[in-house]
Amino acid sequence: MFRNTRKIHFVILLFICFFSLTACRSANRTAQTEVKMRDIADDLGRKIKIPEKVERVVSLAPNLTENIFAIGAGDRLVGVTSFCNYPEAATKIAQVGDTMNPNMETIIALKPQIVFVSTASQIETFTKTLEANNITVFVTNPKDLNGVLTNLRQLGEIFGTPERTTILLNELFERIAAVDEQVRDKPKTKTFVQISKEPLFTVGKESFLTEIVERAGGISVTKDVATAYPKISKETALAFNPDALILSESPDNTEPNDVFKNSSAVKNKKVFKINADILSRPSPRIVDALEQIAENLHPQTNDN
Amino acid sequence: MIINGRKGEAEKRRKGEQKISASPHLRISSSKMLPALIGLLFLSLLSAVFLGSEKLSFFELTESQATILFDIRLPRILLGACVGASLAVAGAGLQSLLRNPLAEPYLLGVSNGAALGTMLAFVFFAQFEFARPVFAFAGAGAATFAVYQMAKSRAGMNVERLVLSGVIVTTFLSSIIVLLTSLLDAAKLRSFTFWLLGDLSQGTKNGFYLTFVVVIIGTIILTSQARALNLMMIGERDAFDFGVEIKKVRLIVFAVASILVGSSVAASGSVGYVGLIVPHLIRLLVGSDNRLVIPFSAISGAIFVVLADTIARVAIAPRELPVGAITALIGAPMFIWLLRRN
Amino acid sequence: MLEVQNISINYGVCAVVQDVSFALRAGKIIALLGANGAGKTTLLKSLNGSLPIAKGAVLLDGKELKDFSRREIARKIAVIAQETETKFPVSVLEFVLSGRFAHGAAFGWETPSDLQIAADCLKQCDLVNYENRQMNQLSGGERQRVVLARALATQAKILLLDEPTANLDLAHQALMFRLVKERCERENAAAIVITHDLNLASEFADEILLLKNGAIAAKGAPEKVLTEENLIEVFNVRVLLDENPHSGKRRVTTIY
Repeated sequence: MFRNTRKIHFVILLFICFFSLTACRSANRTAQTEVKMRDIADDLGRKIKIPEKVERVVSLAPNLTENIFAIGAGDRLVGVTSFCNYPEAATKIAQVGDTMNPNMETIIALKPQIVFVSTASQIETFTKTLEANNITVFVTNPKDLNGVLTNLRQLGEIFGTPERTTILLNELFERIAAVDEQVRDKPKTKTFVQISKEPLFTVGKESFLTEIVERAGGISVTKDVATAYPKISKETALAFNPDALILSESPDNTEPNDVFKNSSAVKNKKVFKINADILSRPSPRIVDALEQIAENLHPQTNDN
Repeated sequence: MIINGRKGEAEKRRKGEQKISASPHLRISSSKMLPALIGLLFLSLLSAVFLGSEKLSFFELTESQATILFDIRLPRILLGACVGASLAVAGAGLQSLLRNPLAEPYLLGVSNGAALGTMLAFVFFAQFEFARPVFAFAGAGAATFAVYQMAKSRAGMNVERLVLSGVIVTTFLSSIIVLLTSLLDAAKLRSFTFWLLGDLSQGTKNGFYLTFVVVIIGTIILTSQARALNLMMIGERDAFDFGVEIKKVRLIVFAVASILVGSSVAASGSVGYVGLIVPHLIRLLVGSDNRLVIPFSAISGAIFVVLADTIARVAIAPRELPVGAITALIGAPMFIWLLRRN
Repeated sequence: MLEVQNISINYGVCAVVQDVSFALRAGKIIALLGANGAGKTTLLKSLNGSLPIAKGAVLLDGKELKDFSRREIARKIAVIAQETETKFPVSVLEFVLSGRFAHGAAFGWETPSDLQIAADCLKQCDLVNYENRQMNQLSGGERQRVVLARALATQAKILLLDEPTANLDLAHQALMFRLVKERCERENAAAIVITHDLNLASEFADEILLLKNGAIAAKGAPEKVLTEENLIEVFNVRVLLDENPHSGKRRVTTIY
């Protein structure tokens, strides 16, 4: 009997705690709605409201983290993923899991105003949970060079750093123009981008790298293969006989696949390694990749 | 009257059924079966040689076409044949030993054990080529042992316990694999998940030589235990009473099956369903005598995987599918059909 | 042929068989009787080494059982256990031929003589034209006869039968015992049979072992063992004893 009453007391206590907590939360909510809001559309075309002044954000993709740093708003990032390793400062920010498995509780605890998401796959559950906590979800995923530039401009508007953004964009435009100049009138080099050695993955029609290689004075031999990162038949890869190989450099992708043993790329020592992070992230560093590929395929030093 | 008439009909039907089911397998004589299977194997190898993402002009091969044929296509086809044979033979042996037609390397966790072993070799000893098969064998052996120990009870081993233990070990190992993959970086992860699904494209000539030697020796050893397995299949107590050294046979079959599965998983990941449906089909055709079932399963397993891999190579060429996806795609419905038939 | 010297068998800590001794001589049949749980099957299992014995010894042709290999034992002792079932499609002929395992090479095929023996045994057990039938499609009685045929096919001189007549109709019960008896008389074989049928035991057995709680309660010729006191003590039933008018053997009628 005595134990029973104690149990009941405990339950009542729990209820009181719960209600006071929800009360706090609703009080919080009313406080935040007083912030001035503005309308904006994200890459999925969703109309969303964001605060006039954006001060706390979380990025769930390494390229978005790089972009936010690039337009000068890195100090407003309060949470990033475990993949976000650039710039150096990004590694000192609190981590909220990785792109595929972000930790909801950690994100909510960080009280961001906006969460930047690169994949639409989890948008449903994401939006519901986060927006219930007064957090806006912004979906953006640049898919090509142009997309990166557009994304940077958009982020500049969101964070209110137009000057810094303009400087950055102008610099990028110039560098891209320089590459265009460098490879103009040069023969297109047959290039194979090796994403992984075993099994042999490459870049296909839907990858932005196909465009980057093209812009850098090459032609991706796999540009017509469906999907973004297909596993390619070794027979076909051998038959392509590329003149240049670009390796997305990672511990198990440091040398060409055996099928390229007799390719002209290997024979003429046209095998180039580029940091996998630079190659795989649609961020300002994509221009670094563009320059490096162009330099590899059509070295300026030789021409001069 | 009507009722009587119906009753008579039903009875007739029942009798008819009994007649049909009196021979549930089609009983093709083994003297016809062997040349038929060898002919089929030859045909499937031939079609596999002719089909591929690159068209080859076989009568005047260019230098690069010769490389494609002899360095890429042929080794892969032959590796596929060895992997298929290994898995089918291991399946047939384990099924008889464990008195369960559902016992299969994949379902019993043996494949997952080998996969985990290979993965460890992958992560920690990537520089040694031989580390993969050795670790795969160790993993397969450990998984088999664990399943067996769990399934064994004082009253002997029953089928339900066995299947349950297999499921437990399989899921346990899967979760370890998932745990480890989440520690891998993204590039490694992609190649590994592809490999997990069963992928013959990573096979090397050395991998082929190893699986070839293993499958030949393994098939001979298991066939040499076939008479004992015939008795084990009926019951362990029976086998013991009629002169089988149960412990010895069990050890031999577990060890050989682990080595077979280990070497093929190390070479090509886990190719599912081969060890399940191939022996099943063979039993349907020639009965349960392991002296026939084991060698015939070897040939048929080779045919099955060679054909499945040919589909994997050409279906969406120049892209490729993992062969394990094809075997599962064919194997799962076929298995359901076989289950319903019995 | 088989000599059992003071054996005891334990399951864990409890003794299931205690201090049992008897001898099986060529040409003889011993019936093992006792209530459920008396340790009959356990005792029988120990006689071919299926169960380890804790104390005592089993001598086969004067040599300790553990000094024989499984194969040697299987050539000398055949077992008919309680029913087995398999999920694989095994034909009757394959099943019977598996009884020849201990005689052939482990690897290889049955010889013509193996096939001849199997055919003879099938015939003896009233199973002509059953060769290609599937085991899992036979009735319980048919299966039991196939199991007997397999045991006979071993040509072992000692037969151990655990309730061989459990699934059989009257005619086949008699056939089973007649076959065992014939085998014993004609080929100087011997058998130990567990049964619950006191009258069958009385008819066919040369000696009866009455087991109670793992120990021998009575041992000897049927008319000596099948007494009112013994049966009350072991089975706790009252019986009427008289003589079978046809064979002159002791007949037991239970009083319900």
